[in-house]
Amino acid sequence: MWSRFPPEAAGKALTLSILSMAQEQFGKVDSEVFELVGARLGVPASHVKGVATFYTMLNKEDVGRYHLQICTNIGCMLEGAYEVFDHCKRRLGVDNRGTTEDGRVTLAEVECLAACGFGPVAQINERGQPEIPLYFEQLNVEKIDQIIDALEEGRIPEDLGR
Amino acid sequence: MGLFDTKIVSANFDDPGAKDIAHVERKGGYSSARQAVRMDPATILDEVKASNLRGRGGAGFPTGLKWSFVPKGAQTVYLVINADESEPGTFKDRHILYWDPHLLVEGMIIACRCLRVRSAYIYIRGEMVREYRVLEAAVEQAYAKGYLGRRIFGSDVDLDITVCRGLGAYICGEETALLSSLEGGRGWPRLKPPFPAVKGLWGQPTVVNNVETIANLPWIIAHGGKAFAELGTGRSGGLRLLSVCGHVNKPGVYEVPLRLTGREIIEDVCDGVRDDKAVKAVIPGGVSMPALTPEELDVPFEFDALQQDPSIREVEVRPGVKFDLGGGRTLRTMAGSGGMVVMDETTDIPKIAWRILHFFHDESCGQCTPCREGTGWLASVAHRVAFGHGRSGDVDLMASIADGIAGNTICALGDAAAWPTLAFLTKFRPEFEAKVKASTHAHSTESAIPFSPGGT
Repeated sequence: MWSRFPPEAAGKALTLSILSMAQEQFGKVDSEVFELVGARLGVPASHVKGVATFYTMLNKEDVGRYHLQICTNIGCMLEGAYEVFDHCKRRLGVDNRGTTEDGRVTLAEVECLAACGFGPVAQINERGQPEIPLYFEQLNVEKIDQIIDALEEGRIPEDLGR
Repeated sequence: MGLFDTKIVSANFDDPGAKDIAHVERKGGYSSARQAVRMDPATILDEVKASNLRGRGGAGFPTGLKWSFVPKGAQTVYLVINADESEPGTFKDRHILYWDPHLLVEGMIIACRCLRVRSAYIYIRGEMVREYRVLEAAVEQAYAKGYLGRRIFGSDVDLDITVCRGLGAYICGEETALLSSLEGGRGWPRLKPPFPAVKGLWGQPTVVNNVETIANLPWIIAHGGKAFAELGTGRSGGLRLLSVCGHVNKPGVYEVPLRLTGREIIEDVCDGVRDDKAVKAVIPGGVSMPALTPEELDVPFEFDALQQDPSIREVEVRPGVKFDLGGGRTLRTMAGSGGMVVMDETTDIPKIAWRILHFFHDESCGQCTPCREGTGWLASVAHRVAFGHGRSGDVDLMASIADGIAGNTICALGDAAAWPTLAFLTKFRPEFEAKVKASTHAHSTESAIPFSPGGT
């Protein structure tokens, strides 16, 4: 992608994509990553850190193998997203942004995932598997239970449809 | 669907084959782009102006006029597609990106020919991984066919399209924040003027357009700007993609004539409200837009009508005092992003107001004090009102904070938090007051200003 940007601006312009690649490899971005990325792109590590801390998809702290993100914004809220989210908290025994003791699942409340007509919606990322962001629509307590069952057994949940 | 015959940007929805360039070409895809690369850029601009195409991202600004702001003779001009769809309630661009990626690529080729752009970018939301892969594949196919790259369609025109991904920041849907992000920085909005058309990406003239806006261009080239204008109404050409969510029987994405009223969209397009309940409130175009009451739904969901129709009540700062949008203009509502949220009679409006404010507090970029602090205070007060801890004076306090944010920030995120707040308080004030009255701290004498902005 380097060649797609003006030569003098390319290093900085690639900050987001390189950080994203670093996260795929290390699971999170921390000060070591900021130094590495900065050196590689020829920009100050402080710039890289400033960028990393601005964007919510970059994990600054460890997350579990599965990152279970539940949208509770307006479209999903009207369809019962908080019931689903609260059920997840109880079942996993964690609060928002908490990780289960076995390190398997991190639960997060997220903002609109642009599928408001088919809420509640959840997106699940698996560490080291950037190809697999799973998307689930029209969730309810039964469906989220099936999904968590699968995650606890270490398998990819099936597409549960609408 | 089946209600309306003409389809412009949704013609290939639900056709899985449309991800394949050969299939798309058999259906006439890329014929407008092929034609456009041999057209005089000025002729393309005339067609776009004649079409009355208006920006579908939220502001409804005339596209041809926006393009004409690019300085004549500029050496380097960029086109940037805003595919950062994040406005809660809005999920229409996602459908174009997923179902008909080639339509966007074709529209971009046309726009780039008109604006003499050699390097264009698509900024897609980081969360849209599935759509990103579809779009990348479509761009690759177009390169392989010679529709992108050097001497496209055998002409003397060169064009590169690069897909860039966001990483989770609502604010990057604001055009100058998007450019900051594309340049590799924090998504911080910039003061306007200078507008991006004069000084945008890397300081060069840059046109930022929404996905749906650009997806209309192949049809405009094929059928002419005049035909497009005739499909519309008043000063707005074409059809409109609406995403409808909430308590309707058939939520979804629909391409509809601009003349349809809110009531017709709910009843005829979305098959009415679920369980035959009554409507309580409708957000016409994403959560930053003032909500409508059931009495205000007989207005066409068109840019000018929603701003001007006298049957829509003007938003107030407090009872009897109209909110000043600047220059003495008042605020009714706006068409926004086309994200329509229908709420039935059981909906708890104060809770909805809190959730919207919680969102804006979360997404404020932090540059401007009125927005950074004000959205936090608003979310805090709205939370205690909605959840039974309201204090007397809280309703006025919310209005006063909102009024203090509006118009006092670099970008529109502050307004986006203030406007719906003031609109809910104008139209549903008794509901907020009843909550405060019933709450346990209604007569507290504690300071009304919340201490911690993050207290939600």
